[in-house]
Amino acid sequence: MTAEVDNSLALVESAVSGEGSGASPAANVEKPVKRKRNLAGMPDPDAEVIALSPKTLMATNRFVCEICNKGFQRDQNLQLHRRGHNLPWKLKQRTSKEIRKRVYVCPEPSCVHHDPSRALGDLTGIKKHFCRKHGEKKWKCDQCSKKYAVQSDWKAHLKICGTREYKCDCGTLFSRRDSFITHRAFCDALAVESAKGQPEDEPPQKKDEEPKPQSVESTPQSTSTASPPPPPVPLAPTPLTVVAPVTPVASSVLCIKNTPELPEVSELNNDPRPVLDNQPQLVGGLTVSCSGSCSSTHTGSTSSSVFASLFASSTASKSLQSQPPPQPQLQPQTTGYQDLMQTLVQPTQTPDLTLPPVAQEPISLCLSTSPGSSIFRTAGQDIRQYAPPPQPTMSATALLQKAAQMGASASGASLLRGYGLERDDTDGASIALGLGVGYDGRTGFEQLIMGTPSVYGPKHTLDFLGLGMAAGGGTTNGLSALMTSIGGSLDVPKAVSSFGLGGRGSSGEFTGKDMGTQ
Amino acid sequence: MFQDDGSSSVTSTPVQMFPSMSMSPSPYPWLKELKSEERGLCLIHLLLTCAKHVASGNFEHANIALDQISHLASPEGDTMQRIASYFAEALANRILKTWPGIYKALHSTRISLASENILVRKMFFEYFPYLKIAFVITNQVIIEAMEGEKIVHVIDLNAAEPTQWRALLRDLSARPEGPPHLRITGVHQQKEVLDQMARILIEEAEKLDIPFQFNPIVSAIENLDVEKLNVKTGEALAISSVLQFHSLLAPDDEVVKSKKNSNGVHLQRVLQVNPKDLANGYSLSQDTASSSPLSSAITSTKIEGFLTALRGLSPKVMVVVEQDSDHNKSGLMERLSESLYFYAALFDCLESTLPRTSMERLKVEKMLFGEEIKNVIACEGGERKERHEKLDKWFQRLDLAGFGCVPLSYYALLQARRLLQGYSCDGCRIKEENGCVVMCWQDRPLFSVSAWKCRR
Repeated sequence: MTAEVDNSLALVESAVSGEGSGASPAANVEKPVKRKRNLAGMPDPDAEVIALSPKTLMATNRFVCEICNKGFQRDQNLQLHRRGHNLPWKLKQRTSKEIRKRVYVCPEPSCVHHDPSRALGDLTGIKKHFCRKHGEKKWKCDQCSKKYAVQSDWKAHLKICGTREYKCDCGTLFSRRDSFITHRAFCDALAVESAKGQPEDEPPQKKDEEPKPQSVESTPQSTSTASPPPPPVPLAPTPLTVVAPVTPVASSVLCIKNTPELPEVSELNNDPRPVLDNQPQLVGGLTVSCSGSCSSTHTGSTSSSVFASLFASSTASKSLQSQPPPQPQLQPQTTGYQDLMQTLVQPTQTPDLTLPPVAQEPISLCLSTSPGSSIFRTAGQDIRQYAPPPQPTMSATALLQKAAQMGASASGASLLRGYGLERDDTDGASIALGLGVGYDGRTGFEQLIMGTPSVYGPKHTLDFLGLGMAAGGGTTNGLSALMTSIGGSLDVPKAVSSFGLGGRGSSGEFTGKDMGTQ
Repeated sequence: MFQDDGSSSVTSTPVQMFPSMSMSPSPYPWLKELKSEERGLCLIHLLLTCAKHVASGNFEHANIALDQISHLASPEGDTMQRIASYFAEALANRILKTWPGIYKALHSTRISLASENILVRKMFFEYFPYLKIAFVITNQVIIEAMEGEKIVHVIDLNAAEPTQWRALLRDLSARPEGPPHLRITGVHQQKEVLDQMARILIEEAEKLDIPFQFNPIVSAIENLDVEKLNVKTGEALAISSVLQFHSLLAPDDEVVKSKKNSNGVHLQRVLQVNPKDLANGYSLSQDTASSSPLSSAITSTKIEGFLTALRGLSPKVMVVVEQDSDHNKSGLMERLSESLYFYAALFDCLESTLPRTSMERLKVEKMLFGEEIKNVIACEGGERKERHEKLDKWFQRLDLAGFGCVPLSYYALLQARRLLQGYSCDGCRIKEENGCVVMCWQDRPLFSVSAWKCRR
């Protein structure tokens, strides 16, 4: 025993540059079990106890280069530095063959760690401890005037000071996440308003904690923190946990087709208003519906479902905006399909929302995602499911292509001319043609269509003032061909005047002018 | 629905000629009997005709065409009707701009809610797969480029959608070597959007235990000071530009103005003479300004300077997403026909996604596409920001600025295709072209995604 003590003392003396403090003899703690890594406060019984002086502990750079006076914390570093000066250097090997675990005691007698049984296992640790507890606080934060004795503590604080501030809806600020969450669980403000739009991380939790009713109850549910998965078991409804269903709503709404008890749920999405009043029932309704739909919503997030999850979280619950007076639930039971249709059509947020604009997403947005499945899948499918069957109309793209084709051929243009519509080279008279058709009734129109195709003739080859070139510009765009064909007949005015609509003598003048203006 | 003196201030002739018109209910009863296909064809024809008149300054005829269009088009009808109504509005705006006083008076009281704009962009993200595909590809490219990097800095030139970066955070935390220290710098014009993004991302990073920083920069792209991006040495930089570069192709207004002033006197005299001639003068001068070698060259657009500045940051990878359609020709007719095809495809896509009665659809069509169409058709010079160009032109520009194209990896393409399959949007297609991904509707290319690295 004493030999060990002497050894440790000797080591202490060699380690310290001169002054030793009142190194108390090591008193090894008897412990039957040897551990590789010590738990806090329970040092290794076989470890050497080392007591360093305050000066040693506070010294920063003990090893100094004689050439340039650069300080180093470790001798090894100094030796490596000496190489740069072409000085002889030697890296010391480990002094003893075995690895001896060392623990350090604090020199301050009043300190808990002064006792070897409460020694700290790490040299850097004891240094920082000594500075923090028994040292002077030399580093100060600008923003919040917090003081630190250890420079690394101060730096770490600077990084987070002011960056992470959690603000409860009631106005209280927190710098720590856990205290914020705890506060929110019991904050009264939450009971009054429904969930404010905050992004939520719903699918990961949903993925991980499938049926966890307790999580819904116990974790404070506003929207932004760990959101509950759709609780498969009916919860005891409390006003607070009501907020939770925000995200389950999204999922359950999507499964609307499968679950009968949907009116409330869908109401939740359709009208933010009923949320407040009917939350208890909603929760009940939700849970039932969710239980049915749980499996379907958990379609297993794939690795590419990050978007899905992000989507659901970002859009869900935003739909539930705080609304003024809660109104009783009104709507009769409607099918989910209709509800979703309604939602799709629902106009966006009411103006009394105070949230940042981005938060105001239309309710229908939350329908577009389903937690646990890819954004893409759900958005496409669900939205399409709820869209009415496409009318048998030609798509615009197809129409354009057809027009282009028609333009290439002459017939199209003349067909359109047959409608008596706008003629590019027309003057008021040929417009009268179009208008006059209406005026005269059907007869003039029929005359147009059937009677006078010859009038229009194949004049479309005439490049109207080089328009074809300007428009075509070398492209084979069919539309440009159409445009070329538009530049057509100059005889129209004459034909028009034959209809006796008071042909204007200026018609020729007009056309001439048109030609001139390009 | 016949306006008896509709726009008679522009042309008085119709009214004089057809006084009886004021009594008849509608001049085109037979129009109602048109089937939708014929109506669509009529509309196309009318639009082209009208545009031709506008381009040539023939406003009276343009007015008549617009009037006819108004009987057929409707923002709540079928696709072609909707498109026609927005294009007609754009053409009308173009005409009206020749009376700047009237134009300004009509538009001065318009309220544009920033929140609505943000909402509409969010809807564009939601209802189309295109942005999502672009984000998936961007993230994959970044992850691949940043393999082994310990400090990653991502610059998002349009930081509006936090979903993308949340996904990146998750993917990074799943890296075998552990997540890097991540810094994201977001550029946007509205502070609220950036605050929201910061909140969401910081929370996400906290959950995943990734060292993370978000730096917001409230600025427009045109005025962005690259120094403010605060790129530090030793960090691996990735830049993401989603539909942002094309607005930099607008000519620098100051440069153009100085050129105009030299021959501006002549213009002003023309102004008083005749609206028609003015239109000519206006369109001609603007067109020449934009098509003259000087303005299309480097000096008077901001794109070259910006790209060079970005190149100076030595990013490890830059992902560029742009519209793949040429809406930057100087001639109105060409722009019109190209944009007709482009927006027809987008409107068709919406038609297959949302019902006709959907308010969201209306908003996207009006506030997003309608505004873009207005900008392409009605604006000129520095005002026209929607200067979309085809991918090969972007290739040239980026090449000139010192970037080299990085072909997108097989895995990136795979993810994009998988996404699309999951989305089950029938007409949306992806094709690969020169190592870049081009997203199409049916066969019409809409958006392109390409990755770039610095070339020595």
